[in-house]
Parts: sequence; C-alpha cells; structure tokens
Amino acid sequence: MQSKRDEDLIKQFIESAKSAAAFVELIPSNAESLNNSLIAATGNEMILLAEPDDLDPELFSIFKLNKNVVTEPTKEQISNIKTGITDAFCAIANTGSVCVSVTKNLSSPASMLTRQHIVIIDVNTIVQKPRDVFSDSYLEGKGLKRSFSIITGPSATADMGPLVRGVHGPGKLHIIILD
Amino acid sequence: MENINDYIIHPRQIADKSSKESLQKAIKLALDVETDAVRFNTQTFNTNRYKAVKKLNDYEELKDRARQIKEDSIQNLPALIVKLSHSIKARGGIVFIAGSKKEATDYIKNVCISHNAKLIVKAKSITSEEIELNYEMEKVGIEIAETDLAEFILQVSKEQPSHNVAPAIHRSRESISELFKRNFRTDKRLDTGEELTEFARDILRQKFLSADIGISGANLIAADEGTILLVESEGNIRLTTQLPTVHIAVAGVEKIIPSKKDFGIFIELLATSGTGQSLTSYTNILEPPIDLPVLNLNGRQGKQREFHLVLIDNGRMKMREDDDLREALYCIRCSACMNVCANFQAVGGHAFGGEVYTGGIGGAWTVGTTGSLEKGRFAELCTGCSRCVPNCPVRIDIPRLNTTIKNRLIKADGGPSFQKSFFGNFSTIGKYASIIPVLSNWVSNFAISRKLMEKIIGFDKRRSIPQFAKKTLVKQYEKYRKSTIVKSKTNILTRRVVLFADVFTNYNNPQVGMAAIRVFDKLGVPITLSKVLDDGRALQSQGLVELARNKALKLAAYLEQLIDSGKEVIVVEPSVLSLFRYDYKKLINNDKLFYKLAKHTYDPIEYINKLLIHLEVDLTNKLNIPNPSSTYIFYHAHCQMKTVGAGNAASDFYRSLGFNVSVSNVECCGMAGSFGYKKEYYELSKNVGSDLINQIRKSNSFDNKTIILASGISCREQIEDELNNPIYHPIEYLEKILK
Ligand code: SF4
Ligand code: SF4
Repeated sequence: MQSKRDEDLIKQFIESAKSAAAFVELIPSNAESLNNSLIAATGNEMILLAEPDDLDPELFSIFKLNKNVVTEPTKEQISNIKTGITDAFCAIANTGSVCVSVTKNLSSPASMLTRQHIVIIDVNTIVQKPRDVFSDSYLEGKGLKRSFSIITGPSATADMGPLVRGVHGPGKLHIIILD
Repeated sequence: MENINDYIIHPRQIADKSSKESLQKAIKLALDVETDAVRFNTQTFNTNRYKAVKKLNDYEELKDRARQIKEDSIQNLPALIVKLSHSIKARGGIVFIAGSKKEATDYIKNVCISHNAKLIVKAKSITSEEIELNYEMEKVGIEIAETDLAEFILQVSKEQPSHNVAPAIHRSRESISELFKRNFRTDKRLDTGEELTEFARDILRQKFLSADIGISGANLIAADEGTILLVESEGNIRLTTQLPTVHIAVAGVEKIIPSKKDFGIFIELLATSGTGQSLTSYTNILEPPIDLPVLNLNGRQGKQREFHLVLIDNGRMKMREDDDLREALYCIRCSACMNVCANFQAVGGHAFGGEVYTGGIGGAWTVGTTGSLEKGRFAELCTGCSRCVPNCPVRIDIPRLNTTIKNRLIKADGGPSFQKSFFGNFSTIGKYASIIPVLSNWVSNFAISRKLMEKIIGFDKRRSIPQFAKKTLVKQYEKYRKSTIVKSKTNILTRRVVLFADVFTNYNNPQVGMAAIRVFDKLGVPITLSKVLDDGRALQSQGLVELARNKALKLAAYLEQLIDSGKEVIVVEPSVLSLFRYDYKKLINNDKLFYKLAKHTYDPIEYINKLLIHLEVDLTNKLNIPNPSSTYIFYHAHCQMKTVGAGNAASDFYRSLGFNVSVSNVECCGMAGSFGYKKEYYELSKNVGSDLINQIRKSNSFDNKTIILASGISCREQIEDELNNPIYHPIEYLEKILK
C-alpha cells in the first residue's frame, strides 16, 4: 500500500519538522518551481547536487544548468562545499524527519559534510511514524532494503553546555516538499 | 562551588569502587564540584522524557514489545549470533567474536596494523571503553580521535564517563572553556557553546578527512539482514562510518535482535527515553560495507570498502546464565534510569558509577563485565526508590539488580555489618524499645549514645532518631474501640476494611494509623486493625534478601486470609504499600497471590477517592474549614507510591475539596527509608532533599502556615529537618478537617 496525499499527514509533518528546527516549504512538483526554490535557498557558492535516488531526475533539469552546481565533485570540492542537495525516499509526520539513502550516489557526503543540507521529498511519501519505515506495507518496503539515515532537524549538541546547532553535520536543514 | 579542573582528586582515581573509601571520596568529589551541572542536565532530560513519552500513544504497549523482543533475543542468543554472522559474511563483511577484552583489542589492533593505519576516528562507544580500546591502541602508537564532543572533552580531561548518553554531563560550559584554554594554546575565543563547538569541530574535521579507519559502536544489530542501528545528534557517527574506507563496529553480543523490522519500536523508545526528543538528529540504519564509493579524501589510494563487526562476550554469556543478573542484558542504554534517579541527579556517574558503566543499571554491568563484585559497590547508592522502573523502556527491575549485588556483597564480606543488621531489623528493635519507650528515647537522644550510635551503627548523629511512641498503634486502637462503637452507615459496601498495622506505624507513628481509623469511622465505613507483622522492606533494602523473603511469605499468607474473608487492606505507609503492589511479585514468587495482594491493597486516600465516587458522597460540606481555597497545601508524593500508581491520589483529593494544592516534581526526598540516616550518605541525602525543600519554599504563596502533606514517614522527616511548617500524612490532615 503506497501512502497517498493526506492533508493531515502533511500538516503534521510540517509542524514537527519546524519544531525540530528545520526550514520547510511546500511547492508544486515541477522543474521550474524547484529551480526557483533552490536558487532562493542557495547563495553564490558552489553547490553539491547528489543524483536523486528516488525522485525523477527531470525535476532537477533546470537547476542543474546553474553554473554553481557540481554533480561530480573532486576530493577537494567534496571536503569544502558548503551546501548539499539530496532527495529523501520518505518523510515521517510524527517526528518531522526525512530518510536519506546511503547508496552509490553522493547523498551521504552532500548531507553530512556540508553546512547546509537541502532535502527534497515527494508529498506522497510521508508516513505517520518511525515504525512505518520498517514495514513492508509502506513505500513498497523501501526502508527494509537499503542503508539510510533518518534525519530530524540539523546536527546538534548540548555537550558544550547550551544547545548548539551545526556540529559535525549541517547546522541548517531545509526541506522542500514537492506537491 | 570549587573548580573541577583544580580539584584535589581526579575522577579517574575514584573510578574503581572496590573499596568503601573510594565510594566515599567519589561522593565528596561529586558533591563538591559536579552536582550543579549533573542536576541541571539530568533534570532537563528527565522533564523532556516525561513530555516526549506522553506523545507516544501506545507507550506501555511499546515497552512490552521491546521487553519481549529483548527477552527472546537473549534466550536465543547463540542461534542469533550464527545467523548474524551469516548475514554479514554474505554481504562481504567480516565478523569476529571476541571472548575477552584482550581478544577484541588484539583483533582490532591487527586490522589497523594490516592497513598501516596511523589515525582512527571513533564514534562514542561504551563497549570500546569497556575493552579499553584507546589505551591499547595508543600503546602501539596508533592515534584514536574521539569525535563525539563529550568524548572529545573526556579525552582532553582524561576522565571516565559520568553518564551513558551524555558522558561529560558533569561539566558546565565554564569548566569546559577553562579546560580547553589550558590545554590548547590558541587565541581563539572559547567562551560560548558555539565557540567551543566550532573549535572542536575544526580540529575533528581535519581528523575525519585524514583518518584511515573509523570505529563505531552499535545501538542494535539485526540478525536477519546484518543491519546496524546507530543513533546520534552530532553527525560524527555518519562521518566515522562512511568517510574512511575501513569501518569497524564494536558491540556487545547482547545488542543482537532477530529482525530489522523491529528497529522502529526501539528507535521510538530510545530517543524519547533518553534525551526526551521524538528522534535525535540522526538515526542511522547501515548495512556495511556500504555502497557509497570509496572517497579517499585522505589522499590514500584505491581499495574497496571493508567492514568488521567485533562482537564481544567479556562476561555477557555468563550474565545470561545468571538468573538474577540476566535482566541487565536487556538494557538498551537509553539513560532514563539515570535521569530519573534522585541520587544520580545529585552525584552523577563519577560517584554512582564505576570505570565505565554508570547509574542504577551500572552496578550489574560492572559486576558482569569485570567479574568483580566489589567494583559494583556503588550499587549501594540505589535506595530502591523504584522511580526508574516505570521509566525503563525495557522494564528492567533495576532496584532488584542492585539488591542482588548488595546481597552478594554481604555474603562476600562474610555476613551483614552491624549497620545493615540494625537498619534491617528495626522492627525487632522497635518491639523491645516500645516496652520502655521513655527510656529508649532518652538513651537514643543522649549525646554520648548518639556518638556511640554513629560509631557503631553508622547512624548519623545530625539526624533525629525516629521516636518510639509511648503507646503502640495496637494499644491505642484497643482502647479506642472499647470506648467507641460506630454504626456502619453504608450497606452498599460488600467488602469491609482492615488497616494493616505495619511496623513503623505501630511503633513509631501510631497517630497516622489512628487517624485512618477515625476517618473511616467518621465516614461510616467499618474498619478493624490487623496484626503487626514485619513486611521485609527494611531487610530488603539492606540486601538481606533471604530474611526479607521469609517475612514476606508469612505476611502474604496472612493478608491472603484477610482478603479471602472479604476485606480490603488499607496501608498508610507507602513503602509498605508498594511492597504489596510491586516488590512482592519477585519476593514471594507466587503470581496468583501477588496479584491478589496488589488488587486489594490501598492507600487510604486512594480508597476514599474510590469510595466517594461509588457512594456518590460529597465531603465538601463535611469540613470544619469554611473556605478551603484560602488554605495552601504543598503535597510531595512518595517515590514508590508514584511507581505503583497512587502518587496523585492525595493531590486530586484535596483539590477536589477546593484546597489550593501545589505538588512537588522531585523524584524522591532523598531520605529513602534508612538511607539518609547513614553517616556515609548524610550529605548526599541532604543534597537530594534540598531539591524538595527549595521547591516547597518556592511554591505558590508559601509561608510558615502552608500545610505540607507527605505520606512517607521518611519524607516527613527529611522535610521536618529543614522547615517548621505543619506536616502531615494526608490521612492525618483529613482527620483534622473532617467534622
Ligand atoms: S531504584 Fe531509585 S535509587 Fe535505585 S536506581 Fe532506580 S531511581 Fe535510582
Ligand atoms: S536500564 Fe532501562 S532505563 Fe536504564 S539505560 Fe537501560 S534501558 Fe535505559
């Protein structure tokens, strides 16, 4: 059973993601809108765009032409680029999380070495709770077939006393939901 | 407060608690320089956990399932190890099963040497501390960089962890700033959380980019697919496991569960129970060697990704065979039992913990993984308050584990100390003292005898001694019954009520028992008094389990007769009530009888609440106080009473009568039966108590007329020590205000 567009789930997801300190926007699912949002979200610096694992690559066709976008980074670039863009195969309403795959594509480095992570999800892939990700009945059991990270808000620590965002991972998490 | 960086004792020196002296020194160290940071941080986690689990609408059911999965996994562990090894090998990973610490570190060393590794990045792993991995690696000249910021701090300060989720929980921002300024020659500003974080991040980012191997732990491992679960907030685990070409995961064998499908249950429980977040920033589900292409950011060439799983026994299989300690293996290391523990909140894991494992659950783990009973001596700091029990996501009976350790220590020491016998046998002492109470009270308050008592029994001379009543409850009741005949106003009631005459109420606090009798009489509910029998509570908390069991069996049989003859049992002392509703399950080991006791025993106010609803009676017009809303009450619920679900009875009751009630949210008063009387724990007990006292002082419209209600006799003593307010058991106060 594929989850279907569900107003309530979307609302819950947006609320939870915001309270986990992520920035969230809901936009129409086409290459042009996505391009506009990504341009607005990124500066004039280099951007590491990981090839999507699940979304249609066509959605990135316009943004990809941007001169700052790198899709096949050098070692030097991987360790220095400040903004990374990936897709996520699933989002969780109760917790405001997104599930980013660890595959042969560069989603991992784009979401763990950077200072800002922009993540794009399809509105129809929101499930209710973490348990649902590990079930055959959601998303065709995708969550049982791969390595991934459930990302909930930016990287954070309280080890130095007060809460600090942005430690080893990105201090900013920006979620774009494609509707 | 003194400064931890300059303190005369280094925490490492007192990490091993084999001797009583090191435990004493550790408590002093913690109270002198760590208590503020520990209390603030654990209490923040604690408050957040209560909020977070409220949002899990099937929390109780989730815990049952998690418990079941862990029980089954440990039961089937040998088969699961085989299955897991196959799954990992099928994917191209390598599994090594290490019997001992040395086998584990030797193996890891060899892997590192075979890769000619110079630098290793490591994510937080308690198991790697258990096998002393850093020490072993440094001996052969391999650098290990701890990348979790708390572990990074500890690597600089050379301290052992003080908490299992936030290992540097004992350090304030100020003490970290000072530590870093002393250790790193830098002109960077290090005065805010951001500055400190950025500073550490920059150092560690260079390590990540040049590391040869990454070593992680594992929160859980699924045998069916060989999947590893790793939960974190900072992002260092992602970097550790994915940047270097070689990944080694180190995990105790108890981390294995059968199926990846069950990860969801544990993921939801772990974050909520730990830091009180719905999820932490990163929950990593990895099936290494991962598909991500080798990045070679350190400039070294080529090669394929390589994955080693080092599974560690080091005493675990023996724990599995041990009927008492086995339960500890179900622990998922969430830290709830530390954050909720009043004693832990005061001293943290440097006192309430050993070289590696901390808190209430730490005793069993220390004993199990070191094979040394003595090292588990810090289990003495568990008062048995039971607040951890309902908050443990796998329902581990932590106080029971600690009672086991205390019991074994007594046997190893060649029998109970005089102190333990004294506090464990208070009932017998009470019996003799009550024959000549005037004399014994006089003796016990006489300065010379107080000094002697402190010296011989360890009864702190700053504490007032529980006084023996001139007339026991039994005597007072007999006299009262002769002169007062009450007609039952209620015939709807099919069951009659009996007040259980527990030892403390009988000898020390008969007025509370008499108050209950009079209130029930006023309500027209027929009530009688039971025989006086020892319940085993005091013996159990000293670790004298066998003696406690004998008493419990006798008492349970007696109570069964009462219940079978149609009676409900009222218990005024909460530590006794919780025996019948919790501890006796294991102590008498007879489920049918236990559930009968649990069902038919009540706190007096709890029973009255039920009765009022049942009889549709309104007490508001039966009070001799005209305007209750102008009376301020502060109510402190007894720790064990909260655990057995009767914690709100009195506050609900007085609120429904229109009183202005404030409620404490401290987990325990710190007195905890005899704990606070003991000389060696006096300061700790007072420190815990100060939390409650501060709350009372800050409560709504507090002044010296505020009525303080607390059902535990020891809670009342702890409060009386500091405040001159009127203090009552809730039933005592009811007697006063009822017409
Ligand atoms: S029973 Fe109480 S004192 Fe013992 S570990 Fe649990 S919370 Fe702490
Ligand atoms: S004993 Fe229970 S509460 Fe304590 S750390 Fe383990 S799982 Fe958590």
